Amino acid sequence: MSPVAAGIAGFVLLVLLMFLRIPVGFTMAIVGLAGFGVLVSWEAALHLLARDIFSVFSSYNLTVIPLFVLMGQVAFHSGISGRLFNAAHLFLGHFRGGLAIATIGACAAFSAICGSTTATAATMSSVALPEMKKRGYDPTLATGVVAAGGSLGILIPPSTIFIIYGIMTEQSIGKLFMAGVLPGVLLSLLFVLVVVVWTAVRPDLCQKEERAPLRGMIASLAGVIETFILFVLVMGGLFVGIFTPTEAAAIGALGTILIAAAGKNIPLRKFMLSLQETARISCMIMVIVAGATVFGHFLAVTTIPMEVGGWVARLALPPPLIIGLIILTYLLLGCLMDSLAMIMLTIPIFYPVVTTLGYDPVWFGVVIVLVTGMGVITPPVGINVYVVAGVAKDVPLQTIFRGASRFLLAQLIMAVLLILFPSLALWLPALMG
Amino acid sequence: MNWSRSFRRITLYASHVAGAAIVAMMLLTSADVLLRLFRYPIPGTYEIIGFLGTVVTAFALGQTSVEKGHIAVEFLSSRLPLKGQLYLDGLEAMAGASLFGILAWQSAVYAEDLRRSGEVSLTLAMPIHPFAWGIAVGCALLCAVLMVDFARFCRRAVRP
Repeated sequence: MSPVAAGIAGFVLLVLLMFLRIPVGFTMAIVGLAGFGVLVSWEAALHLLARDIFSVFSSYNLTVIPLFVLMGQVAFHSGISGRLFNAAHLFLGHFRGGLAIATIGACAAFSAICGSTTATAATMSSVALPEMKKRGYDPTLATGVVAAGGSLGILIPPSTIFIIYGIMTEQSIGKLFMAGVLPGVLLSLLFVLVVVVWTAVRPDLCQKEERAPLRGMIASLAGVIETFILFVLVMGGLFVGIFTPTEAAAIGALGTILIAAAGKNIPLRKFMLSLQETARISCMIMVIVAGATVFGHFLAVTTIPMEVGGWVARLALPPPLIIGLIILTYLLLGCLMDSLAMIMLTIPIFYPVVTTLGYDPVWFGVVIVLVTGMGVITPPVGINVYVVAGVAKDVPLQTIFRGASRFLLAQLIMAVLLILFPSLALWLPALMG
Repeated sequence: MNWSRSFRRITLYASHVAGAAIVAMMLLTSADVLLRLFRYPIPGTYEIIGFLGTVVTAFALGQTSVEKGHIAVEFLSSRLPLKGQLYLDGLEAMAGASLFGILAWQSAVYAEDLRRSGEVSLTLAMPIHPFAWGIAVGCALLCAVLMVDFARFCRRAVRP
């Protein structure tokens, strides 16, 4: 069998096994092992498997994952989100759709210490949904804004997707993190704009509130300080170059635990729970990374990545059109599969294409994370929608999908802005040492 | 003896080890950063953290599977009738058990290679093979969990 034919057969088998619900990491390892065995030799394939697993599991660079996940989990279990939402509520509550706007603000702030869309959506659901329900907000708006706001979790650093992208493409994780800051803030503002326009057209969706007293507003800021300190510590250290990402994550996790313990916000039981969740989530990610590494070695001997790169270059299409097509592919894939698996699977193919076209790898990382953020709210497998549905048990799934879809427009506008003005992503990282 | 229950207990203990390794990783890295400020970095931090990483993932493998934490594409399978879902469970258990059986075997072979060639880490000259053995054990545990799952599937599948 020719290498390219074996590669195509491998992809077909991969998709088949995935749709048969075999875990994504397992599938990639199985197909990678079999493909390498067929193309090179079975002995080499078995050797490769053991070495790939060892090198991924023992990789210093990848230990950044459990540490940032721990930081997010402790933040999640210690009620930081409640204090963030409270402050945002007092400051923004009196605008029309104020609670929805406050939810976006709190999501953005929580994203600054948590690198996952699902954790952000889950924690904000439990905090913001009851408040919005109590004040008569329409469930379409209330659940939609939480699901969409959660997608900020991976764009505003820290972010698991940036870490994985950085390791796969050998780009600086610190630079990728910085590149996500401005687009993250801008996307939050676009989300706010969606709420403003939506509630202007449909004023019946929400109730207006009285302005909170100034004293209450100022007092609520105390609940924001911890998040601010942690963000400045972690991102500041990375920006200035004092820390490696792993060190920043360790300091961030320790800082979050200490702050939570000082405020008596994390009893031992919840800490143990955070630890268990962290082990589970990290293991899940590492298994996918390991599977993708094995699959990647198979893909390399099929020569498909080079062939695709050459083929796209020969097409002589305008580069922005190719980027547009890649984004479209991600949107479609994002509807069907988990974001991490999607990135693992596609980066080896798309990355060489994009760099051949002369695009900046860091910029492309931001584009991918943004598009991945759309995947978490589009049906049928928009994971954030399911997370919100798990909390808002009385709201049908379609309602949440409909609400979240209003925010898709903001994400698309953001993608276009990024393509037109790459410096939105690249300006901050360029300032780094 | 209830195999399923005993394995569950072992995987839970193993995941506590993984959790402890995460805490160790965090404390060691933070201590290294702080002591570096006073020009006393902890030698070998880099390699110990990597080795702790193997403990985290290998020892959490079983529990992650027990909690159905390994991500799968459920978009088609969730539309199948119950009988179909049951067969997919069986397929998943069999495929996973085979993969992790091979992985446990190959990791053990690799660990033995490392031990025989006397490979040690660069800074602390720590032997590397125990960590490869750790991966072999973690994979074997996951293989066992999935084999128990498969046995349960067989029992349910033959039931009229």
